[in-house]
Amino acid sequence: MATFELYRRSTIGMCLTETLDEMVSSSTLSPELAIQVLVQFDKSMTEALESQVKSKVSIKGHLHTYRFCDNVWTFILQDALFKNEDTQENVGRVKIVACDSKLLSQ
Amino acid sequence: MASTTTSSVYINVIEDVINKVREEFINNGGPGEAVLNELQGIWEAKMMQAGVILGPIERSSQKQPTPGSAITPVHDLNVPYEGTEEYETPTADMLFPPTPLQTPVPTPLPGSADGSMYNIPTGGSDYPTPVNDNGSNADIKGGRPSPYMQSPSPWSNQRTPLSVDVNVAYVEGREEVDRGTSNQPLTQDFFMMSSGKRKREDFAQYQNGGYIPQQDGAGDATSEVAKAEGSRGGNFLDRRHSTTTAKSKFLAELARSSSKIPQLDGPIPDSYEDMLSTPNIYNYQGVVNEDYNVVNTPAPNDLQASTPAPAPQNDIVDDDDDEPLNEDDDDEDDLDDVDQGEELNTQHLVLAQFDKVTRTKSRWKCTLKDGIMHINNKDILFNKATGEFDF
Repeated sequence: MATFELYRRSTIGMCLTETLDEMVSSSTLSPELAIQVLVQFDKSMTEALESQVKSKVSIKGHLHTYRFCDNVWTFILQDALFKNEDTQENVGRVKIVACDSKLLSQ
Repeated sequence: MASTTTSSVYINVIEDVINKVREEFINNGGPGEAVLNELQGIWEAKMMQAGVILGPIERSSQKQPTPGSAITPVHDLNVPYEGTEEYETPTADMLFPPTPLQTPVPTPLPGSADGSMYNIPTGGSDYPTPVNDNGSNADIKGGRPSPYMQSPSPWSNQRTPLSVDVNVAYVEGREEVDRGTSNQPLTQDFFMMSSGKRKREDFAQYQNGGYIPQQDGAGDATSEVAKAEGSRGGNFLDRRHSTTTAKSKFLAELARSSSKIPQLDGPIPDSYEDMLSTPNIYNYQGVVNEDYNVVNTPAPNDLQASTPAPAPQNDIVDDDDDEPLNEDDDDEDDLDDVDQGEELNTQHLVLAQFDKVTRTKSRWKCTLKDGIMHINNKDILFNKATGEFDF
């Protein structure tokens, strides 16, 4: 199963990465095993988002920068408004990083 | 948010990861389950510090996690630490999540995407002119390999013969006619397509007389002539040969029915004068060829003279340029960091997959799915997202 390493940049991914870093640094864990854990995280996170999350969000804002490189879209929005079912958030500046969903199905 | 909250999804993911790597930890000389538990403990602690997991996670080996009911009411998302306060005295760490967690480490993005990105089209498309020349010459010459197109042949390397065009051909012809050096009116011959046999006779006749007979329509005779010229007259003759070859391209339409086009070229000095009088054409064509090949290939003298001089300057300039460029690049990233630093923990980030990105004029629309948003210090997951941006 193909996975993205994209989600490693999320909070949960960063927490895992830091944990693994610490454990590898203290020789508690081998680097190889740490990488295996990260790969498993890529899979588990992707599956969880597909199967356990149903919410929809709409995003509006001023597109400050757009970039498409290596099949990854990057948008930097200014004064963005995020809406979902029960809340909305205003953000002065937000970065959106999106991988091509078609790459996962291949 | 829907039925499952961010916190519960995160807990499920942690559980899933831990369960699926357990085998690796226990078997194959792995570090053992204790280390795995330590990993899970630290991971969860960091998540709680970051405020994306609420409350102590009740977990026993038998009990499957039921986080939705036990741990996280939906409204808690907006007040991440409320849950923890019920169970324990909040610590400074919990009230003020450490900043490093909010700093994204630049990890390589999609590994699977890398492979497909570097399919840079390569091929002969960089050399359209030679290819075309080859093709048209082959048509005209009836398959004779055109030696001057191949750089290895030494004599042809002196000048790349080109599509010097029609104008040159006519000039030469007129000159010859004007000077009366040929017995036949050449321009008329071109269009009348006289037979090749007479041409061969001419060839024999002129060889002694120092004239250079040339046949453009047929391959065999021409190449023979070229060899003879090469042995006798040197480079200038070869260039002349190539020039006439170019002429033949112009005459291709007219000569289609006749395999040979009789042609009489002027005496050697004339051709040389032609070369000198129109040096730019030859040099320019040579330049083009060199440029499209390898930059460092030996070029004609004029070119080589010009390139080395700027080189050292370029080095210096490059150094100067690099830093501003990099600084600019960094600046953009730095802006993010600066924002983050100033607003403390507010690196707003959306990580997702895109289904479609379209643009109409300055209006962008995109559909995303399976995203993790970190906005205003909250993690929000979505299954689908639609974006409408104006640029």
